[in-house]
Amino acid sequence: MADRLAIAELHKVYPGGVHAVRDVTLAVEPGTFLVLLGPSGSGKTTLLRTIAGIERATTGSITIGDRLVAGERIHRPPEQRDLSMVFQDYALWPHLSVNDNVAFALRRRGHSRASCRQLALTMLERVGLDRLAERYPGQLSGGEQQRVALARALVGDTGLLLCDEPLSNLDADLRERMRVEIASLVREVGATTIYITHDQQEAFALADQVGVMSKGELVQLGSPETVYATPSTRFVARFTGLAGELRVRVCSSPSPRGTVNVEPVFAENGIPIHACIGRDAPSTGEATMTIRPGAVALCGTEDPAAHLNGTVTDVAFRGRAYELAVDLRGGGRLNGIHSERRVDRGSSVGLQLEATGCVVFDGVGDGDAGEVVGLPSVDMDDVVVGMPA
Amino acid sequence: MTLAGLGSVTSPTDVAEGETAPPSGSPGPNFGGSPSLRDRLRGVRLPQLAQVARPVFWLVLSLLILVPCVCFLILAVSPRLFDQGPQWFTLSNLRGAFTGATAVALTNSIWVSCAAAGFGLAVGFPIAWLSSRTTLMGRRFVMGGMWLVLLLPSWLPALGWERLVETDGVMNRVGINAPFITHAILGPFGVVLLLGLRCVPFSYLAVTLGLGGLGQEFEDAARVHGASRFGALRLVAPILLPAIWSALAIGFAESVSDFGVAATLAYNSHFSLATYQLYENIDNFPPNFPAAAAIAWLLVLSVAVPLALQARSLRGRAYAVLSGRTRQIVRRQLSRPGQWAASGGVGLFFLFALGIPAVGAVSGSLLADYGASGRITLVNYRAVLHGAGQWGPIQRSLVYGVLTATVTVIGGVMVAQLLAKRRTRSTRFLDFLLLASVALPSVVFAAGYIFAYNLPIFSRLGIDIYQTVTLLIIGYVAASLPTNARVLVGTMAQLDPSLQDAARAHGAGPMRAWVKGVLPVISRPIVMAWLLTFGAIFLELPMSQLLYAPGSPPLSVAIQDNLGNYHFGVGMAQAVVAVVIAFAVIGIVLGAYRVLAPAGWRRMGVAARG
Repeated sequence: MADRLAIAELHKVYPGGVHAVRDVTLAVEPGTFLVLLGPSGSGKTTLLRTIAGIERATTGSITIGDRLVAGERIHRPPEQRDLSMVFQDYALWPHLSVNDNVAFALRRRGHSRASCRQLALTMLERVGLDRLAERYPGQLSGGEQQRVALARALVGDTGLLLCDEPLSNLDADLRERMRVEIASLVREVGATTIYITHDQQEAFALADQVGVMSKGELVQLGSPETVYATPSTRFVARFTGLAGELRVRVCSSPSPRGTVNVEPVFAENGIPIHACIGRDAPSTGEATMTIRPGAVALCGTEDPAAHLNGTVTDVAFRGRAYELAVDLRGGGRLNGIHSERRVDRGSSVGLQLEATGCVVFDGVGDGDAGEVVGLPSVDMDDVVVGMPA
Repeated sequence: MTLAGLGSVTSPTDVAEGETAPPSGSPGPNFGGSPSLRDRLRGVRLPQLAQVARPVFWLVLSLLILVPCVCFLILAVSPRLFDQGPQWFTLSNLRGAFTGATAVALTNSIWVSCAAAGFGLAVGFPIAWLSSRTTLMGRRFVMGGMWLVLLLPSWLPALGWERLVETDGVMNRVGINAPFITHAILGPFGVVLLLGLRCVPFSYLAVTLGLGGLGQEFEDAARVHGASRFGALRLVAPILLPAIWSALAIGFAESVSDFGVAATLAYNSHFSLATYQLYENIDNFPPNFPAAAAIAWLLVLSVAVPLALQARSLRGRAYAVLSGRTRQIVRRQLSRPGQWAASGGVGLFFLFALGIPAVGAVSGSLLADYGASGRITLVNYRAVLHGAGQWGPIQRSLVYGVLTATVTVIGGVMVAQLLAKRRTRSTRFLDFLLLASVALPSVVFAAGYIFAYNLPIFSRLGIDIYQTVTLLIIGYVAASLPTNARVLVGTMAQLDPSLQDAARAHGAGPMRAWVKGVLPVISRPIVMAWLLTFGAIFLELPMSQLLYAPGSPPLSVAIQDNLGNYHFGVGMAQAVVAVVIAFAVIGIVLGAYRVLAPAGWRRMGVAARG
């Protein structure tokens, strides 16, 4: 039976004054897969460990199901919270066999030894490791260890499953396979899951809900589509994948659909760009526009629909298509631009921007006026872009 | 080794390099040595040199380590082989070791060593846990303190304690009358305490290493999956079993083979231990080599058994808990009373291990009338610095220490390079030989030397080094080489061959490539190994006691002689001066390395350590 998780006004301050979690409030409905996404030091691991009871909340409350596990003068230890966890380094006890590792969670729940063994074996079968049940963790590969950790977490059939960057130690190929396994197994058992990662592709691929954390705060919570299409801040936009940023001038009033016309400060072709209005976007004057890679389409330099012109500086073959880096004529660069055909380095190209992937925010860019800051991109195949709300 | 190593990397450029000057205007790299040396070496093919060097290397190693010990051990069962008795094969010597005073000494050694190992673990484990897992005050200094305890020879603290508590000791002189302390320390309890205090650093180091690889997440995982705090500890504790077994086995082996406490506090307390019994069998006239060899067998067995048991119990259970990922250290915040209790406990250990012996030694050295009165004076120090025959042993041991450390480090680097580079049958044997030698009690080593180099065959071969300084130095080198090589082999194994290859690819000759590409990386471990050997030899007792040349006693023997002749004050002053000199040499060498070594060397040394 999946549990509902409710966190209210949670703060965690470490001795020494490091404020790791600031005023986090969220509710996760039973059976939901929530991914907390954020860079290193954003407080996501601390939040997860506080939910687990490994860390004690400074203020605020945590409720799992209908049990208040952390609150004013209340701190239930981890073993009384009825949850399970997959650790970053797996934390498999090296002196216990695979079966004993998995069965540990069951023995603590009062199952008989024989029953524990059988249930553990059944779970190992589900993750495809029943033949390795008598081995020790040191005799397994990284991927196998990861599956044992997952089996240990799932076998107890707890209502809440916590995952602390469980794929971060695996190579790219194995990570992708394990991601699929985790997604299907967790949904099969139906547990409420809190999963943390710093990889936006992993987050969007796994999540029902994505929460983005920065400096201890939960800065946005929503479906992957919503977070991608309407990032609440420039930080969220950047962290979830951009082709780049552009200094622009707002040149129209907001439309009823929440868009606005802007033009680059370096006045490229004079064709206004349609862009979505982000939080705190100014109604006039200069602003910063974030551009998703999927919002940029190639066209000819003489194409009347081209918003920007530039020169191709890098071409990367990505299997199904190419990704280009384009230096803009007015200065700056856009990365991760999709192209079906190879375009030679040094070629001049026109770029057309779509409103759905361009969001205007208040404030200036990281560099001088007109500078575009290139950032890592998100593969458009992995996400579904929705219309801004 | 170096010549052997060079054999496979000779290239025509080696010879061509120095033969013709580079054309004018193109200076080019000049990595070569002086032309005259090159001229002399011209025509000598390095593979040929290697072919000669390899057997010589094995011969030297056999004469140094294998032959003396094996001869001595065979003597116990075949005295006729060495003209020491009528039987070709007999077990009577071994049987004899289980009767009378020898049996008592053996029994004492075994139970005292068990107790000392247990004591070492009981004290070392909590200190390791407190300093690595809690906010213990002064935890940064614990490791340094432990190394200090480890580096001091066991006889020094024993003498300090003894001088403090004995019937006419310092305590008595200053008016503290506590006969129960005297009785407790000068007896089995004191022996266990002294040996146990010496085991603490071994336990501490083993458990600290174990805890370092044991991330907090193992405990967290247990708690999250339903274990209570105690249940989690119970689950995680077996992961530390390898460390615990190692601590117990090393503690036992160190205690049972110890000679320093046996020859000082235990002997003066009339508490007989096996190592001293062995020494007496050789030191008495006429010496009873077969009986001593029988005790050596039993000592070797009693060291080997726990080490073998440890290896057997851990077979297949060397838990791989180390990963490349740096784990965050989670320290438990100690409450104020907890902090005081923990710091007090750790402080008490250092007080017992270092403080009280130091007070005993220094106060003993400041008492006048050769320690027979309560008057404070510097007369003993004046006697050490200016008195006849008192400064000589210090100078002698200083020279022996420097010489031995230098030779040993050179040999150690060669052996370590051999062990790290190739895994052939011979290097596997060499590895085993070194490991076995590390476990061999020094007193057995020394006895083997006395016996073997006193054999007529060595005289017939023209090797007349019995009762000479040469034999003592060779003994020192042989005893230090295994530990030294084991210390250096870790660094050598981490060296990427490409370091040397890169230097060679860019034009350096083999030796130049080693000096430029390898030496900087291993320079710091070499300096540390040198200091470790110097410290050990400067204050070494068992080998010195058995092998010193008549009329030229080394420092430790001179101190024992002074104490034996009731010159307590001078003996203790000599010990204090010796420790000060040892620290001064360590400071000078480390300072010189810091000042003289190129900055890159120091950085590389740090990288190699880390």
